[in-house]
Amino acid sequence: MTIEKRPNATADKTAPSQAPQVPTIERGGGPKLPGPPGVPGTERFRLLAYVKQESMVRVDKRPDETVLTWPHLLRAEFLMASLITMLLVITSFFIQAPLEEMANAGNTPHVAKAPWYFLGLQEMLSYFNATVVGVLFPPLYFIGLMAIAYIDRSPYKAARDRKLVWIFFLCLMVGGLLVTFIGSFFRGPGWNWVWPWEGLFFTL
Amino acid sequence: MSMQHYGYGEVHGPRAGEMSRRGFMRRMLGVGVGILSIEFLAGTLAFLWPNIREGLGGRLTVGTAASIATNYPEWTEGLAYIFQSKIFVVNVPAAKARVEGEGEVSQPVGDPGTDVSSDIPAVDRSVLALYRKCPHLGCQVPQLCDQSQWFECLCHGSKYTVLGEYRAGPAPRGMDRFVVEMEGDTYVINSGEIEDGPPVGTVTFDDRDSQLIPHCAA
Amino acid sequence: MSFLVRAVRESALWRSLFRQPYPTTSRTRALAVMNNVFLHLHPVRVKTHAVRYTYTFCLGGISFFLFLALTVTGVYLMFFYVPSINRAFQDIQTISNSVAFGDLIRNMHRWAAHLMVLTVFLHMIRVFYHGAYKPPREFNWAIGVLLLFSTLWLSFTGYLLPWDQIAFWAITVGTQMATYAPLASTESGFILLGGIEVGQETLIRFYVMHVIAFPLIAAILLVVHFWRIRKDGGISGPV
Ligand code: HEM
Ligand code: FES
Repeated sequence: MTIEKRPNATADKTAPSQAPQVPTIERGGGPKLPGPPGVPGTERFRLLAYVKQESMVRVDKRPDETVLTWPHLLRAEFLMASLITMLLVITSFFIQAPLEEMANAGNTPHVAKAPWYFLGLQEMLSYFNATVVGVLFPPLYFIGLMAIAYIDRSPYKAARDRKLVWIFFLCLMVGGLLVTFIGSFFRGPGWNWVWPWEGLFFTL
Repeated sequence: MSMQHYGYGEVHGPRAGEMSRRGFMRRMLGVGVGILSIEFLAGTLAFLWPNIREGLGGRLTVGTAASIATNYPEWTEGLAYIFQSKIFVVNVPAAKARVEGEGEVSQPVGDPGTDVSSDIPAVDRSVLALYRKCPHLGCQVPQLCDQSQWFECLCHGSKYTVLGEYRAGPAPRGMDRFVVEMEGDTYVINSGEIEDGPPVGTVTFDDRDSQLIPHCAA
Repeated sequence: MSFLVRAVRESALWRSLFRQPYPTTSRTRALAVMNNVFLHLHPVRVKTHAVRYTYTFCLGGISFFLFLALTVTGVYLMFFYVPSINRAFQDIQTISNSVAFGDLIRNMHRWAAHLMVLTVFLHMIRVFYHGAYKPPREFNWAIGVLLLFSTLWLSFTGYLLPWDQIAFWAITVGTQMATYAPLASTESGFILLGGIEVGQETLIRFYVMHVIAFPLIAAILLVVHFWRIRKDGGISGPV
C-alpha cells in the first residue's frame, strides 16, 4: 500500500526525541499548505488546527502523520465488510442454526443452560450465594467496567508502563473465559462435571 | 433592585445570596423537567406492569379431599397431586408417613383435614401447595424421587423435602408455595400470592443427610 | 457505449446525485468525504496507524457491520414471523423449509448475532489494552459499555423468539437470575416476563424489545459513539 504522507508530517507524541517542530504562527495565520500546483498565491490554510486546552472539547492532538480517508480507510472498510459477508454467507450455507421441538413448559430438559455469554454467570451461581452472584454481579460488572475509565486516568498507554492494570484486566478476562468455558462444555445433567468427550451439552 | 457597587456604580440584580427572577425560572424549569422525567419513568413502569393473568394468578379450585383421592389415589399414600401441571398439592400427613415408612404407607390418609391456614407451621398443616418452578433457575420439579422421597430438580440437582424445604443443590431457598384456603370442604389455591420458600437451613421435618441417601438427580 | 455513459453522467439526474466526478485528486477525495452524509462520519484524513489492520483489528468496524447485517436480515425475518406462542415455532419452521433463501437468512441472522457478541467483547479488550479509554475518551468508553449491554440484551431477547425448547429454557433460566433481587424478587421477574412464567406475554415483550426498542437504543448509542471518536481527536494511539 502506498501511503502519501502530508508534507509537514511528523512523528507521534510518544517519542519526544522526534517531537515535531510545531510551526510558529502569527495571529490569524496557520501553517501553510501548498495550493494547487503552479498557481502561486493560492496556499490554503489548515483549519481548526489549534484548540485551546481549556475549551469544552479536550483534544490531545498534535500534527500527526495522516493519510486520506478516501481511499485508504474506505478501502480497508470495504475489504473487511466483504470478507465478513463472505464468511457469514458461507457459514450460514453450511451450518444449520439449531431448532429443537416446540417449547413445552412441562418437559424440563436434563440440563437447562442460559445463552453462552451468560454461562459464566450461571457457573458462578453454583459456587456462590445466589443473591450475590445473580443480583449484585451483573450491575456491578457494567458499572465497574464504566468506572475503569474514570479511575485509571494515568496518561500511560504502553503495556510496560501499566503492568498492574494490564495484569488485572487479563485476570478478569481469563477468569471470565474460564467460567464460561466450564459452564459451556464441562457441565451436564444436574450441572455435574462432564468431560466434553463424554457428551456435549451446549447449543448456540 | 439596584445598589451601589464600589467599582461600577449603580448596578441592577439580586443581592448576594438572593436569587434573580431568571435564576428562579431556570431552576424551576429544571425541577419541572426532573419531575416530568420521573413521572414518565413511573408511568412506563405502570403501563408495562402486567395485570392480565391467565391460569396462574387467580383463585384456583382444586376440589375436596375425596375428589382428589378419586382422581389420583396415590395422593393418599403421600405422592403429590399435580394440579394444572404447575402445582404440587401435598397431602402433608400422608407425605410424612411416606417418608417415615421409606416409601411404604401402611395407613393411607384419605382426608388430611382442613388445617390450611398459613399461620400454622407447614409440618402441621393438612395440605401444602408447592409451586413446581424450581427457585434455582426455574425448571419444573418432578414428582417425588423414589430413592430419596425428596423432590429433586433434574436441571442442576437442587433437592427439597416433601414440605419443600431446601436440602441440597444450588437453589437459594426452599420451594415457593401458594396460600391454600377452604371453601366448605373444598381446597382453593390463591395463586396470585406466591410465598417465598423457607430459607436454607430450615429443618422442621426429615433431617436425613443428603450425602447418605441415594438420589434421582446426581 | 461511451456515448451512453457520457449521456448518463451528464444528465441532470446524475449530477444532482453526485455533485462531482469520481474523486481522483486529493482535493476531490477530501470533498467526496465531506459532502457525503454517510462518509462524513469519517474525517477527511485519518492517522496513518489507524488504517493498519493490526491497530484496531477492525473489531469496532466489524461489530458495526454485523449490526447492519443483523438489521437487514432481521427485517427479512419479520415478514414471516408472528410473535405468538401458537405460531412462532411453526413460522420459524416455515422460514427454514418453505421460504426461498429463508434458511440462509435465518442462519445468517443467528450466526451474525453470536459473532457480534464476540467481536464487541474483543473490541472492548483491544480498546482496553491500547489504553484508549483514558482521557479524553472516558465518556466514549462508558458509551461503549452501554453498547456492550445493548448487544447482549439484543441477543438475549432474540434467543426466545424461535419458541423452541432451547429458547424457552434458556430464557427461563436466564431471567430467573433477576428474581434473586432482595425486596423485589417477584416484581423484577414479573415486569420482565409480563407474568409469573415465560409465556405469551414474555414473547411479545421480548419481541418488541428485540425488533424495535433496543435496535433504536443501540443506533442512538452508536451515533454518539462515532461522534465522540471524532470529537475526542480521532482514533487513539499509536501506543
Ligand atoms: C455495538 C458495539 C460497538 C460498536 C459497533 C463499536 C464501534 C466502534 C468503532 C467502529 C470504533 C473505531 C475504532 C475501532 O474500530 O476499533 C470504536 C472505537 C472505540 N470504542 Fe467502540 N464499538 C462498540 C462497543 C464498544 C465497547 C463495548 C467499548 C468499551 C467498553 C467501546 C469503546 C470504544 C472506545 C473507547 C473507542 C475509541 C478507541 C480508540 O480511540 O482507539 N466500544 N468503536
Ligand atoms: S433449576 Fe432446579 S436446580 Fe437449577
